[in-house]
Amino acid sequence: MTVSANDLALALKTQALASARRLGGEGDALAALEATRFPERKTERWKYTSVQALADGHLNAVAAGDLRQPLPALSESVVTINNGELVTSSLPDGVTLHHNAPAVAGLETPFAVYNSAVARAVVLEVAANTRIEQPIHVQIQAASDAPAHCNPRVIVKLNNGAEATVIEHYHGEGQALTNAVTALITADNAHLTHYRLQGEAASTLHIGTLIIDQQGISQVDSYQLMTGNRLRRNDVHALVGKSGAELTMKGIFVVRDKSHVDNQLCVEHRVPDCQSDQNFKGLAGENGKAVFNGRIHIHEGAKGTNAELSNKNLLLNVGAEINTKPELEIYNDDVKCAHGTTVGQLDATQQFYLQSRGIPAAEAKRMLSLGFVNELLMALPHETVAEWARPWLEAELTHARPAGEGAA
Amino acid sequence: MSQAELDKLIRSNYEAGFTTTVDTETLPPGLSEDVIRFLSDKKGEPDWMLQWRLDSYRKWQEMPSPTWAHLHHPPIDFNEVSYYSKPKSLDDAPKSLDEVDPELLATYEKLGIPLHEQEMLAGVAVDVVFDSSSVFTTFKEKLAEAGVIFCSISEAIKNHPELVKKYLGSVVPQGDNFYAALNSAVFSDGSFVYIPKGVRCPMELSTYFRINEANTGQFERTLIIADEGSYVSYLEGCTAPQRDENQLHAAVVELVALPGAEIKYSTVQNWYPGDEEGKGGIYNFVTKRGVAHDNSKISWTQVETGSAITWKYPSVILRGDNSIGEFYSVALTRHMQQADTGTKMIHLGKNTKSTIISKGISAARSQNSYRGLVRISPRAENARNFTQCDSLLLGDQCGAHTFPYIESKNPTATIEHEATTSKVSDDQMFLCRQRGIDPEKAVSMIVNGFCKEVFKELPMEFAVEAGKLLEVSLEGAVG
Repeated sequence: MTVSANDLALALKTQALASARRLGGEGDALAALEATRFPERKTERWKYTSVQALADGHLNAVAAGDLRQPLPALSESVVTINNGELVTSSLPDGVTLHHNAPAVAGLETPFAVYNSAVARAVVLEVAANTRIEQPIHVQIQAASDAPAHCNPRVIVKLNNGAEATVIEHYHGEGQALTNAVTALITADNAHLTHYRLQGEAASTLHIGTLIIDQQGISQVDSYQLMTGNRLRRNDVHALVGKSGAELTMKGIFVVRDKSHVDNQLCVEHRVPDCQSDQNFKGLAGENGKAVFNGRIHIHEGAKGTNAELSNKNLLLNVGAEINTKPELEIYNDDVKCAHGTTVGQLDATQQFYLQSRGIPAAEAKRMLSLGFVNELLMALPHETVAEWARPWLEAELTHARPAGEGAA
Repeated sequence: MSQAELDKLIRSNYEAGFTTTVDTETLPPGLSEDVIRFLSDKKGEPDWMLQWRLDSYRKWQEMPSPTWAHLHHPPIDFNEVSYYSKPKSLDDAPKSLDEVDPELLATYEKLGIPLHEQEMLAGVAVDVVFDSSSVFTTFKEKLAEAGVIFCSISEAIKNHPELVKKYLGSVVPQGDNFYAALNSAVFSDGSFVYIPKGVRCPMELSTYFRINEANTGQFERTLIIADEGSYVSYLEGCTAPQRDENQLHAAVVELVALPGAEIKYSTVQNWYPGDEEGKGGIYNFVTKRGVAHDNSKISWTQVETGSAITWKYPSVILRGDNSIGEFYSVALTRHMQQADTGTKMIHLGKNTKSTIISKGISAARSQNSYRGLVRISPRAENARNFTQCDSLLLGDQCGAHTFPYIESKNPTATIEHEATTSKVSDDQMFLCRQRGIDPEKAVSMIVNGFCKEVFKELPMEFAVEAGKLLEVSLEGAVG
């Protein structure tokens, strides 16, 4: 059933409010939800993404299904959150898990506001001046045969001088909607390596917000790998908040079949002398639709900022779609900012070269597609993640129908 | 460069800021169906034109004013604007220059617009529009020999109704957007150009717009039709007196490039930008769009230095196969100016190509935004786009922003977009200064170099004017 976007926006708000009251939401968080508006037809930030799939009523029920194929552990340190609830955790010394969550700045979407009203946060706090060798594998899983949702909320806090790696790993089955909020908060001299792996089943939905709040002179390196599903929306908001902080974000997104990915990134520089570097690559095949909106916002006092963004995309066949918008909003003259975006296809001469050496067309295209994103795969600092990511991505690319073949 | 030196550079005079005293017939402020009827009657328009205007007005009444642009201004009261002002001396259309009011001629002389044909250096035909009316069009006869129609749109409605009926609103429909709808309802005058099949227009065509009367709006409408295989280069210039209140300018320009035709449209926009404190200045809301049919080409070049607010997106719909769209822009903002400008390239045909080069310079407390859209439709095989938008910031209180929308639905299309933001580098300044170039000149040179890619696209006379305009605008701004 299709309902008008504006009717749906009203319905979603009613559902979210009812659900929030059922789940014990109260106080300011509930008031904030009452004041928010869900995406309407002309809401600019949702221009390319329809939430029509939610007309199935995901917000009316909380997911409670059993997982058929839970994620394998990629590390000895594992935290498992199923359907929004903490199940198990095994953490090394120096990392504590608690539920005393700090307020999270920079949450904007109505879905994140809803999450704030109902979620019970899992806080992973790394003690000051501690280096955690093993990556912490945070498994965030959801399953439901009928449309239903869950609200995981994870806050990673690195105190002064702490160093850690966190793998934020999503898994979904059936018709689950994961409405997630993740916040990474770093103090002075902290160094966080963060992975965000999103490979839920094609039938699932994911609406998530990632906040990177660099409160101290810290370094955050974030790697985001994702495939499309029925609806994937990622809002990433980075607040580079203390002079000397550095941020890098690298990512790959692959859409195929009828899957959808919408990445909305915003890096905000509020103070002088910070650096940020973003590099995202997208592949769209079959009837997939990818959206990338990368915004760099430099405030008036943020002199000496060095910010860059690159987004390169491959459109593999007719029917696929890429919408990209690299935005700059700059209020200071003493900055160096650049962005570049391309949308193109595989190089015909390279394909010819491979085919002339006896490699079948489909295989050649897969190889070249993989080559396109290889630069970023090679940059993954942890072997375990790279080993997991490569075959996963290769499988995705095998599915994606190569350019010119069997295209409608 | 120190802030004080910058401030000095940015503070310069608006040379076109004088007022002309002529006896005018001006409607009291306010907008209603009666005003439109009066306006249409005054121009002696046929009924179909009046109905078209009323239809547009009804559409406009139902539209909300757009708020998506990166602009801040108090809401505009459309009932405080006068929608018609005409020098009385133009009541009987002048047949030759001798009959034109000497005050008006003096105005244009002061602005450096040559109306005397014998004094023309390069042979540019000019149509001048003063407030709501076209004053005079030069070189009409010479153009008529080539079959070119170049006249005011009011004349075209009378003399060439079949062409106007066919093409008016065909590129920018009446209800396209808020300001286009307003313009469709109340447009006063503007230029009309028709280039017949296979004709290369023998000279540059030019329109010069001048707002003079206080509290008036200017709503001009330009329609250019280049028939199969023809070529025309068209220039447009604008100025207004220096006044404390804001004045409204909402224009619509429609270009139709039929198969194999080429239209080159250049604008130097120098409406009064307001003073340092943001007092006064023109609110400039313009819809410019062209449709390019098979093998045709439309090229927009603009130098935007004026207006308190600029809201302008000259666009090309690349409807035909192998059509080409180009957009070259320099936008300079200073004082408290705000510009939100860019382009749309809509690729519909096969092998369509578009190029976008945008240079934004912001100084003082101004805000300068590039907003663009490149859309590749599913059947636009082998479409190609290249976009470059660079921003130069002069001072630490100004802003430069980029909002480029890129939408691709065809796997054979190639799109490239790049953008940079920087300031005048100390190295460049040092190099110039140690060679004895004074700071003001140095910045002017660097800014000129920054804009060079766009200036070279302008017709020669305009390139010189544009270069001078930037110099004047930056005068005293640099150290």
